[in-house]
Amino acid sequence: MGALVSGVPSVSVAAHELKSPLVLLRQLSLELLNGDLTDSQRQRILEQMVSVSEKGLRLTGDLTKTETLQQPLFDCYPLNPLSVTDDVANELSGLYKAHGRTLRVSRIRHLPPVVANHDLLRRILLNFADNALHYSDIHGVVELQAQLQRERDIVRLSVRDYGPSLPLASWRKLTSSLSNKQQMQARPLSSGLGLYISHQFASAMNGHIGAIRHRDGASFYVELPVSRQLSII
Amino acid sequence: MSSPAERVVVVEDDELLAEHYLRILRRAGYEVYHAGHALTAIDVIDDARPHAILLDVLLTGTNALVLLHELQSHKDLASIPVVLATNLADQLAMDDVESYGVKRILDKATMHPEDVVAAIRWATRS
Repeated sequence: MGALVSGVPSVSVAAHELKSPLVLLRQLSLELLNGDLTDSQRQRILEQMVSVSEKGLRLTGDLTKTETLQQPLFDCYPLNPLSVTDDVANELSGLYKAHGRTLRVSRIRHLPPVVANHDLLRRILLNFADNALHYSDIHGVVELQAQLQRERDIVRLSVRDYGPSLPLASWRKLTSSLSNKQQMQARPLSSGLGLYISHQFASAMNGHIGAIRHRDGASFYVELPVSRQLSII
Repeated sequence: MSSPAERVVVVEDDELLAEHYLRILRRAGYEVYHAGHALTAIDVIDDARPHAILLDVLLTGTNALVLLHELQSHKDLASIPVVLATNLADQLAMDDVESYGVKRILDKATMHPEDVVAAIRWATRS
């Protein structure tokens, strides 16, 4: 387990990350133009194109936000973390459906509010959930989990996937990059850009991100301080 | 009686792109199998005994060169022709990968669906 810290990604890393959705959009467009498709295939391709476009737009939006992260622009306030996990589950339901996966929210009762910015927290969880999609088993479930760690006064929001276990060497590389401020390593051959963005957003909320390796997958999480507002009242 | 369809294994971890390959290759008459992880690719290839492999380079868990190395270590799999479809085409030279059975390198950013079919057809007949 390790808390994730930053390494600034290069423009070429960002360009590479954006290349994949653009390549896919182009291929699907060409198929639509030239392919001998049934109505249902055409509909599916169009839905996929929408999902892929949204993914690319999320990435460009995140990159823009990391450049303009300033506390006054991103006020933190007490919010119910489950309202954010619900938003993320709704927002990604189409993408998950397109991949034959399910994104499930594991609910717990009496979760206290956290001090956070709704938009930044939403973007962190979208990043984790989007990443988990590609590492979960076919027809598998990805879970959005919330956990109160009372002794530390924090709430941990995790995205848990049940894919193949990350090779130990790759995991060590990832966790070592967490503490050495080198270019952030994510899963094998991932650029780490999503983690970098998530780290920036978490830091802006006085939180931090981390990861846990399981025998059957991984959890990526963000920890945020519990709001003391209610206890003061 | 028509001859059985030629088999192709697609190794691609982007599922939507893999689905696209499967559609276009099936429309072209191939029997197509998919491996989404390099870790499972050898098993799929071993089971399917394909006439050609369409292979992405940057894969979850490892990369195509590791898989190509492994294929070469199996006598019965070493001769299967491979087509690479990659975002790194400008960084790969045919001379470097030809010895691994690679017949074509397709640039994902510029290829057309019919290029994929043509490359597989060329690979299976060469």
